Amino acid sequence: MTADTNKNVADQTQDAALIERIRNADRTAFMTFYDRFSPLLFSVAARVLGDRKEAEDVLQEVMLVIWNKSGEYHPELGSLSSWAVALTRNKALDRLRSRTRRLRLIEEVAIMAEDSDGSSSPSANEVLHGRERAEMLRTAMKQLPAEQRMAIELAFFTGLSQTDIATRLQQPLGTVKARIRRGMLRLREQLGGVL
Amino acid sequence: MIDERLQDQASLYALGALDAEETREFEVALQGSPELRALVRDLRAVTEVIAGTAPALEPPASVKAKLMLQIGEQRRPATVTSLNPRRRPLSVWIPWALAAGLAVVSFGFLYQSAGLKAELAAQARRVDELGMSLEVAQTESGRLRQTVAELRENNRLAAIRIALLDSMVAADPKAVAVSVWDNERQNGVFIVRNLKSLPSDKDYQLWIIDPKYKSPVDAGVFQVDAKGNVRAEFRAHEQIQTASQFAVTIEKKGGAQTPNLKAMVLAGA
Repeated sequence: MTADTNKNVADQTQDAALIERIRNADRTAFMTFYDRFSPLLFSVAARVLGDRKEAEDVLQEVMLVIWNKSGEYHPELGSLSSWAVALTRNKALDRLRSRTRRLRLIEEVAIMAEDSDGSSSPSANEVLHGRERAEMLRTAMKQLPAEQRMAIELAFFTGLSQTDIATRLQQPLGTVKARIRRGMLRLREQLGGVL
Repeated sequence: MIDERLQDQASLYALGALDAEETREFEVALQGSPELRALVRDLRAVTEVIAGTAPALEPPASVKAKLMLQIGEQRRPATVTSLNPRRRPLSVWIPWALAAGLAVVSFGFLYQSAGLKAELAAQARRVDELGMSLEVAQTESGRLRQTVAELRENNRLAAIRIALLDSMVAADPKAVAVSVWDNERQNGVFIVRNLKSLPSDKDYQLWIIDPKYKSPVDAGVFQVDAKGNVRAEFRAHEQIQTASQFAVTIEKKGGAQTPNLKAMVLAGA
């Protein structure tokens, strides 16, 4: 068994124990989860929505889903935190889609953020993983070709459809899909020892 | 080997970028392929890293306070009162080392004696009741939010300590409370749900446990309404440096100088 496999097994075991406690209405376990991951989830919601107040509402909704519907979590498809990130992103996008003007604005912000990795403000990764590990993650992201990173960020943070991304980037749909696939697989390869 | 088309879909699925129909189709493929599930698991971890590139923001403490209330006991909004300040103690307090030891022993014993099943049953009831009283809960959450908003003037939220107090009495597992303490202003708000009413010669007394002091610090006495609820503002009888824990005991009318640890009904950090 490799070190990575060992880590995955350990992570899954930890997730299973935590989710089991949350399913059993263990508020201490739930607050442990909240304390650890709420900065990440709040940051994601705020990045998608561009509005802290709405991001608070999304965080609240997501946490209640985790508390009340933890049975919907499938460990074989990802970690507990990955599930929470997906929930947060989807709930934030649901709100955003009702505001087409703001959607356009946030989309523009996402495009501009493409080259913002050098900014001095810390990322949610830094808060969650610590500076050293976050730096490894940041480096991996920066090493992605710009067009791949832009396509991935548009898909994740704006919720634009693949067709809309293709239109936005003025590229064929197949090219956009290929950029996303290559970028994701490259990150998977580069981050294999970190994730 | 997973072909490129499925790799495309797995990447978009992990990012949440497939439409509803594509998602359904892909999930059918997922069910039959452990290799594909492993890929999705990895790509979701990648997605989490992408999510983490968002600028770091800390959610305000009011979100956690609302959650604590929502997952705890929720009933009708309580009336607002102030904790009755007890006269400053004149005599010497029992050394806190002894009290702390007793508190730990009492805490452990009571938790064990409550039993896991009783705790689970109580929590299940709380969740059921939460669903039934959502509107009430939202009203109460709104009140707490307003309170926190008032306290966060001049960006002082970092000085606010929010604690959830659980029942320490096996026979009364539904009792719960939230304490919001502003260390800069040296005052707080205390919200209680489902605490039994006391006879007229008794009071509930709130204590703040601050490592700076040998003994718990008196934070006043209070009574609950007929439904067992109260929302009260309180102050400590000493300057608080670190409000590490809060506890409620049953004491004689007007309060006591030292807590009766055998009559501890709520505690939490």
